[in-house]
Amino acid sequence: MLTGLEPTLLTRVLARALQRGGDFADVFFENRLTQAFRLGDGRIHEASTSVMRGAGVRVVIGERAGYAYSDDLDEAALLRAAETASLIARHGRQAAGVADLSPQAAPALYASHGDEPADSQRYVDLLARADVAARGFDPRVAAVNAFVTDELQYVQIASSDGRLVTDRRPLVALGVQVVAKHGGERENGYVGDGGRTSIDVFDSKTPETIAREAARIATTKLGARAAPAGEMPVVIGAGGGGVLLHEAVGHGLEADFNRKGTSLYSGRVGERVASDLVTIYDDGDLPGERGTVAVDDEGTPGQHKVLVENGILRGYMQDRLNARLMDVASTGSGRRESFRVLPQPRMCNTYMPSGTSTPEEIVASIDRGLFATSFSGGQVEISKGDFVFMVAEGYLIEGGRITAPVRGATLVGNGPDAMTKVTMVGSDGRLANRSYTCGKGGQRVPVGVGIPTVKLSACTVGGTARG
Amino acid sequence: MADPRDEALALAELALSLAVEAGATDADASVQITDRFACEARDREVTKLERSRGRGLAVRAFVGTRRATLTTTDLTRAGIAALTRRAVAAAAFVGDDPHAGLPETVASDGVCDHDLLTVADDVAERPDEAKIDEALGMERAVRDADVRIANSDGSRVRDAISSWALVNTRGFRGVTQGTNVSRAAAPVALDGTDKRIGRYGTAARGWSGAEGTSAVALHAVHRALAMIGARKPPTMRVPVIFERDAAAAVLGDLVAALNAENVAKGNSWLAERLGTQIAAPHVNLVDDGRLPGGLGTAPFDAEGTPTRETVAVRAGVLEAFLSDAYWGRRLGVPTTGNASGGGVAANNFFLQPGTGTLDDVVASTERGVLVLDTIGFATEYASGTYSRGARGIYIEDGAPKYALDQFTVSSTFGEMLAGIDAIAADLRFDGTIVSPSFRITEMQISGG
Repeated sequence: MLTGLEPTLLTRVLARALQRGGDFADVFFENRLTQAFRLGDGRIHEASTSVMRGAGVRVVIGERAGYAYSDDLDEAALLRAAETASLIARHGRQAAGVADLSPQAAPALYASHGDEPADSQRYVDLLARADVAARGFDPRVAAVNAFVTDELQYVQIASSDGRLVTDRRPLVALGVQVVAKHGGERENGYVGDGGRTSIDVFDSKTPETIAREAARIATTKLGARAAPAGEMPVVIGAGGGGVLLHEAVGHGLEADFNRKGTSLYSGRVGERVASDLVTIYDDGDLPGERGTVAVDDEGTPGQHKVLVENGILRGYMQDRLNARLMDVASTGSGRRESFRVLPQPRMCNTYMPSGTSTPEEIVASIDRGLFATSFSGGQVEISKGDFVFMVAEGYLIEGGRITAPVRGATLVGNGPDAMTKVTMVGSDGRLANRSYTCGKGGQRVPVGVGIPTVKLSACTVGGTARG
Repeated sequence: MADPRDEALALAELALSLAVEAGATDADASVQITDRFACEARDREVTKLERSRGRGLAVRAFVGTRRATLTTTDLTRAGIAALTRRAVAAAAFVGDDPHAGLPETVASDGVCDHDLLTVADDVAERPDEAKIDEALGMERAVRDADVRIANSDGSRVRDAISSWALVNTRGFRGVTQGTNVSRAAAPVALDGTDKRIGRYGTAARGWSGAEGTSAVALHAVHRALAMIGARKPPTMRVPVIFERDAAAAVLGDLVAALNAENVAKGNSWLAERLGTQIAAPHVNLVDDGRLPGGLGTAPFDAEGTPTRETVAVRAGVLEAFLSDAYWGRRLGVPTTGNASGGGVAANNFFLQPGTGTLDDVVASTERGVLVLDTIGFATEYASGTYSRGARGIYIEDGAPKYALDQFTVSSTFGEMLAGIDAIAADLRFDGTIVSPSFRITEMQISGG
């Protein structure tokens, strides 16, 4: 596999990019091979192989960015892309020039992964084991769909300030979706796992565990009551509940929205934005996690970032363009879906560290409420901070006890408002065992989320139950 | 520069021959070459300028009844050869699947159907400077429109010209072209200390068919201002009106349940409902792959099947799922020409419009909620449960009273379709799934 471009060629491309001026220019090279298998109806019905290979050239001048990419890696094509990207700087100021490129290696944060996908039989066996385990879990399991993907992405970033960084990023995922049927009722359950590692990880995170968990969720929802409607106390489950932080706070702390002043968190560093029980980190450097980047897609090392500390807003997630304009350093948050698009400030692994309450104490403190153990997704509108989450698995809390499963629940609210209503934080913080992908501006990137069991003293639950 | 259609066809032919060389007994190959332009302005600055030609190859290789697919942006001969060998080798690990294979019938060769109006000539003709001026103009327009507009997330203007070739081992050769354009604005209004963003965008095959810059800017401003002073509604059951963009999002969730892949996987609440009444008798849902100038229009689908008009729901009765050849065989129904990028997708899907305006529907609603925007997405296709975050307007005595936010609107798809009691005439084909505004007799609102 081609793992990068020649430094001398990169220097020529960067020089062409800055011919009309600019603060800096960079080249992002990517070569990514993905092997995937899908199972349904008891058989492997598709093998798919995919390559994303190409390079993009960017010129930045103030808050302006010019961009062009090419899947053709010949010098002429790359110089054409540089020429196009340079147009943003027409009538621009003098360029800084291109410094000598000095190669740097990315920190080692991923488990070992071979240069080629594993023997195909291994993927197929994982899916067959998941299928058997899900079907054996309960006779009401009506359909099992599963996939496994194994990806290896080489990236190389060269920048006119002399940065030349390569990274070799593995990413595996195994997902199982189970449909359970009983009478006229139909419910689904989904669980996925993986990370920046090799498929050896499924020796310990076994397909049986993943499949049974998906089957358990689907069958639990059969016969579930309709979710209640209205405002009530809500318990957010450890792990998968971390979607709450990602949506309710995380997106609003991405630097682009704050630099432009369109986020409700703009200009509020140092202010109280949550109850003093709330601390939120975003880490790019957790070994092997799905949202980890040894270096981001601008070549800045992934790092530990304190977003909120004991309720006080500490900082934003920065990429190079926004960091320059806000006169701070990049936090290694510049990420992109592929060489076809510009980087944006994005989250990596967003989580809340453990507190002191036991999960049992938290549930026992509620007379009538909802326990949302995991979410299938969420969305936020960053200017006002209103969010919504789809609850994948939820239960009623009655008289301090978990009583019955409910279906069709969503949570709706406002980020800072919800964060001031965090009144208990559990001692059981962990990352979610589900493969989340975050979408922003049409770009999808893998992320991680995590949280301990948390109590919100009040949140609006959108359900269909009458009365 | 050479015609990209010739390049696409030559690359597709090359990939097909390499797939056969690697051991495929049947195969198809498609190449898409797209010239994209995008610009963004914020205040008085051009903040983003992007122009590129992107190329992509997709191959489906069959070894007997075992299927393997590949997609790549590495279009070197060596790259395609290595990847086709890898894909064909992987096919050995796929289960024998009697339903796998190319479609039985394909469109006639070399189709380039001008009646479909997929190409608007004004796209290639318009210089980049004119598009940049439009983006700057929209920024001025949103800021001049109202003193409460204090900021903007940027105005965007984009276009693309796509050439696409598809060939298969049964002798099909198809080449076609399409253009599309879009304009979008995102002004921010100040509401005390709160910020209210209003997003509006439009898309079309060409510039002359798209809503103009001032219409887009004013619509976005209106959306931002409409939410000023919004409050959380009480929890209640009332009639709900979906304004057409929000209505289209409801149809998007419905299309997922009509998708033959989801149906075959047991992942659709409509799985056993074919031939039954699933909606009110005045509800007709259509997917028209040949709608002239439609954004989802093409002469043939991603596997060469001629596109067509499919009535999914006629007079409230479920008549057809949207399907490609494979998932159709799994369900025992013919393909509807909805193959798309390895899966199934709507071409131009819409609810047949009724009469009158959205204002007429509001005026005939004694008490209810007008939903302008929903957030969140569907995952519960299996159970058919619907619940979304929403923003909108409270209606009393047939008139808008005040703005609402931080609430959910919930029901089941079954009750919603049966409860559609008014449909306006305000349908616009500015997407591949579109809808006129409609009202549902009663839904659950969860708020304070």
